[in-house]
Amino acid sequence: MNDDLETRDPHPHTAQLLKQYARDLAQIAPSSDLDARIGTLVADRCQKIQNKPLAAGRPPLRLWRYAAAAGIAALAIGVGIFIGMKIEHTRELSVANPAASRDAAWPPADLAMWPTDSVSFKVPAEYSAQGILVAVDPDSKNTSTRYWIDVVVSNDGTFRIERIVPADTAPRNGGHDDVAPQVQ
Amino acid sequence: MGDDSECMSRLAKGDASAVRELYQRHGRALLRFSSAMCRSRQAAEDMVHDTFVALMREPMSFDPALGTVYGYLCGVLRYRVSRHFRQQRRWVELDTESDTSPMHPLDSRGPADEIALSEVTAAFRRAMLELPPQHREVIALCDLEELPYATVAGILDCPIGTVRSRLHRARALLTIRLASLELIDLQCEPPMAQRGTS
Repeated sequence: MNDDLETRDPHPHTAQLLKQYARDLAQIAPSSDLDARIGTLVADRCQKIQNKPLAAGRPPLRLWRYAAAAGIAALAIGVGIFIGMKIEHTRELSVANPAASRDAAWPPADLAMWPTDSVSFKVPAEYSAQGILVAVDPDSKNTSTRYWIDVVVSNDGTFRIERIVPADTAPRNGGHDDVAPQVQ
Repeated sequence: MGDDSECMSRLAKGDASAVRELYQRHGRALLRFSSAMCRSRQAAEDMVHDTFVALMREPMSFDPALGTVYGYLCGVLRYRVSRHFRQQRRWVELDTESDTSPMHPLDSRGPADEIALSEVTAAFRRAMLELPPQHREVIALCDLEELPYATVAGILDCPIGTVRSRLHRARALLTIRLASLELIDLQCEPPMAQRGTS
């Protein structure tokens, strides 16, 4: 582009219209609405700047959130480590004493279903005429089959019948009144 | 210029009232430029408002070594206007006549002159708005605002030679368009515009 072309003035008629349009544009003034919007813009900014020192003394809300998240994460890690250590400790015990770990599933002896202090009796019995198993009467002449009833009486007052066997199959320790208590 | 620099330094320190001073100083000129570029008054004012919003958000982006505060504001405004044009391309205009009407009441001239002048101004404005934006902006800055070429080159971010060549093309296009609208007669001497102004 040569200088002659670059510096050429516009067409005289165009130049006149341009000047006229420029004069008309020069009369344009910002509306009250634009003035108000700029005023609001400045006022909002000033308000924010004034509010800023109030929040300067304390850490921002985002910092609190980060701190809370870090605390929860640390707590979760600590609990995880504790649980892991407990599991590892239990595993070490089971490796060192397999029997202990196997028996650990059963309750200890002092928690057995039946007390250890009890007495067992062998009571002779026979069926009565009503078909009920009753103790043998020494004066009776009943010749029916007799049975031995093994009864265990505990020291807490309870008793149980362990078994009933015919007298001719069970080892006999004496007569029908030969009751031999055994302390367990 | 010194006052503008002081305002910018105050703004950079957080003094928002400096924006109001800059608006009072340059708001009118920016609105003229914006009005020459945009079709509607509302859009022109929105662009000026957005310019000061951008200035308030990023006052540190102004570099005194690159030009004046007014040139910087014009550059921001030009960017906003070009973005506005890009957004406007997505929409279909239903009525362009209302946008091309004169944007302001004229002063206390006679009613006949006012009507005649308004018609010419409206037709000229229509021809201006039909120019491509890059030609329209160079005419607005060089011929309407009468800014130096160096300042315009800074605003448009291009060499001075480009400003001159672009201005030459823009003037030629505008003259052809005015002739097609019969606002000027390239053969006869007294232009139609003089009938309204004389």
